[in-house]
Amino acid sequence: MKTKFFLAAAMATLIFSCGENTPEAPLVPEESDYTGTVTVIYQGSPFNNENISVNFSPSDEGKTASITLHQIRFVPQMPVTIDVTILGIALQSSKEKIILSCERTIPLAMGGEYPRYTVTDLKGEIVGKSLSFSLNFGDYPTSFSGQGNR
Amino acid sequence: MQNFASAMLAAFIISILAAASPVCDTLLDPASITVLKESVSLDKIPSPVSFIRMEKLQRSGTYRSNKLSGQIPGLHIPEYGASLTSTIYLRGLGSRMENPVMGVYLDGIPILDKNAYDFDWTGIRNITMLRGPQGTLYGRNSMGGVLAIQSLSPSDNAESTVFLEYGSSAFLRAGTYFTVGNNVISAGYRHSRGYFPNDYKQEFCDPYDGVSLHWKHERPLSDRFHLRNTLWTSLSKEGGFAYGQWTDGVLRPVSYNDEGSYRRLSLIEGTTLRWSGEAFLADAAASIQVLADDMRMDQDYTPAPVFTLRQRQFSGAGTVEVRFRRADAKASWQPSTGIFAFYKLNHMRAPVTFRQEGIRRLILDNANSHIPSEIGYLAIPDTEIPVDSDFLIGTGNAALFHESVFRTGKWQFIAGVRLDYEHGRLDYDCLASLHYRFVPTMKADKPFSVPFTGVRNHRKAEALPKLSALYQVNEPFSVYSTISKGYRAGGFNTQIFSDILQNLTMNGLMKDLGVYLDRPIVSVSAGNTEYQPESAWNFETGTRYLKGDLHIELSAYYIAVLNQQLTVFPPGMNTGRMMTNAGKSRSIGSEAEAEWTPGAFRAHVAWSWCDARFLRYDDGNRDYSGNYVPYVPRHTFYAGAGYSFILDRCRVETDVAGKGEGPILWNEENTLREPFHLRFEGRIALVFPKWELYLRGENLLGSTAHCFYFKSVGNEFFARIRPRTIITGLSLKI
Repeated sequence: MKTKFFLAAAMATLIFSCGENTPEAPLVPEESDYTGTVTVIYQGSPFNNENISVNFSPSDEGKTASITLHQIRFVPQMPVTIDVTILGIALQSSKEKIILSCERTIPLAMGGEYPRYTVTDLKGEIVGKSLSFSLNFGDYPTSFSGQGNR
Repeated sequence: MQNFASAMLAAFIISILAAASPVCDTLLDPASITVLKESVSLDKIPSPVSFIRMEKLQRSGTYRSNKLSGQIPGLHIPEYGASLTSTIYLRGLGSRMENPVMGVYLDGIPILDKNAYDFDWTGIRNITMLRGPQGTLYGRNSMGGVLAIQSLSPSDNAESTVFLEYGSSAFLRAGTYFTVGNNVISAGYRHSRGYFPNDYKQEFCDPYDGVSLHWKHERPLSDRFHLRNTLWTSLSKEGGFAYGQWTDGVLRPVSYNDEGSYRRLSLIEGTTLRWSGEAFLADAAASIQVLADDMRMDQDYTPAPVFTLRQRQFSGAGTVEVRFRRADAKASWQPSTGIFAFYKLNHMRAPVTFRQEGIRRLILDNANSHIPSEIGYLAIPDTEIPVDSDFLIGTGNAALFHESVFRTGKWQFIAGVRLDYEHGRLDYDCLASLHYRFVPTMKADKPFSVPFTGVRNHRKAEALPKLSALYQVNEPFSVYSTISKGYRAGGFNTQIFSDILQNLTMNGLMKDLGVYLDRPIVSVSAGNTEYQPESAWNFETGTRYLKGDLHIELSAYYIAVLNQQLTVFPPGMNTGRMMTNAGKSRSIGSEAEAEWTPGAFRAHVAWSWCDARFLRYDDGNRDYSGNYVPYVPRHTFYAGAGYSFILDRCRVETDVAGKGEGPILWNEENTLREPFHLRFEGRIALVFPKWELYLRGENLLGSTAHCFYFKSVGNEFFARIRPRTIITGLSLKI
């Protein structure tokens, strides 16, 4: 009985020690909600949207993702807030972070494509529980920085 | 010899009176008490009492409850809308919607549904109106008073009669009542082409066709048991809602495009069984009541296709009451104890349909006003948006009551209390469906619907006490004082659900789009649609003089209304108003009534003054505290006189009367005022032993006064009183 116990313990030790020696795998993107601040540069000055909820939703293969910004306002005078979804964001995972990029895409808002706020030059990353990205929404340079909710 | 001559003279006078009154009633007639619950005769009731006999009802053309307006001091039942409207104002109490402030009893059976209050009477023996809160004996919805209608009984031996009336606006009314054994059967039919043309449709908007049938069976079952059964049914089909728009101080003709109609079938079957024992009497009454109706209404009352309502109800109810009282009516202590219960289930379907203009004005303009044009705009391709509302409303009530009458010398004291419990349950199942597109982002229309279902409950217990003292100064003259409490039941604002759905749809649709307004469209929730009972404390003192052919009643009252049910503007952008317990008011008033019937001459005067003001009322937009309660006439007045004389072989009856009400303030701001207006009516009849020919006129000078005012979607509307009508009639005794 004692012999069997020691054999099992030895096998377990061997398995865990093998894992530690293997190089780290790239991060697997997971759907997540983040809360943070969206900053829009409006007439040369930053306009902050606090406590904005952003949903990050990767595709099944983990190669692309969509980001939905909930209830944002592009200019202070805007009497409504809107949800904007950016599709087709390319993902590149490493063991430290996930890099987001998109050269140009037409976002979805108000039930369809909204070319007025065409997204260009999207760059960002997910590191740990943080998501940050910058982009141009039409003529408005915009950035987001927030923390994951879980 | 002198006594004999006096007796002969008295007998002669009585015979003349009896001849003039085939069914003779007096205030002291014990038969008249059978439809009331009081343990005392009418002349000892410590509340003002109005009593109208059959022949007076016939002479004045009073065949519906609203014709009693003015004839009974303070009672105001304006005739507008349709038969379901039956808005009753009494002593500053009353509201346009929901529960009434006056209980209506037919042969001792309470009519539970206000929608059935307005029906044609045929074969009515008399009506009795007790004013002031009668909650201790009559319970809910009798805080303003009780109207008891008593139909002819087989024992009245009324001569079988057929009558036919024809007059202005193709008015036709025919009816009959006759006695067969222990049964009295009466039937009536009424038709009119309408009184108010709808300019848009080029037809009268208020035609009427209706039939009613009444069967009463009454007989002793044994020495101890007495049975009375009443079956009353009526079927009607009518137009209505003769509302003209008020713009720039001018009332425009009625002009709306959608259907305005009302159909109703109502049935009341009630049985009363009396057991007369040596020591006490027991009265057991039970009834089954059914009402099915269908109302269609152009809710904007304009030629534009804005929005319509169709409300269909099917309700069934059962009532039961058992009451015990002492058999010895002369005993100094007269206790009366009883239990009462009812349950009513009402299935109501009330879809509101928004049509093209309504979709544009009430929904799209509303939503797009919040959306910057550079972002886009909302479009709805539907030509109609149905907002379906399906309600199942159950109402149960149980009560235990006791009243004791103590008599000592010239004093009579009454103390009583009613413990009343009511439970209401509303199951609602609503759905709004539409298609929408946000331009320019959406390339195709998208279906969207909002279901809204749930259950609401409310329960309330009330104690309704009563204390009174009456002092019989001498035989004809008595004075009394009474403190009593009445209440009007709570309920649910079903009419506001379309507004809730409208706002839920807008908010849901915007959320579906991902657009959020800085000021969200707010609305009441289903929880806010409940309203609690309204109660009133009534402090009253009065005098009564009753001697021979002279009857005088004078009274003064102070009423404090608590938890007043008032119509308020719900928060947010809504098309309707809703009932809520928002206020507190008080009424101070006095009433006077005198009737003198010395042989061939008759006179009747009724007058009331009521100062009803809000002590607290904030409708969410403004504070109206201190203002007069709208719709309540400051005065009601009726003065009528008649004289009968013999001409050759016939008796000629001539009657004239003037009646009016006002001033009335139409809005809470007290800025719109209807002055007192007097209308005249008259009748001349040739009465032969077996037949009678008469001519009757109403509103003889053609007054164009208003009887109702309201706002809908920002527009103001008035309804006018009926124009001058001349009616000729023939009545045959067979």
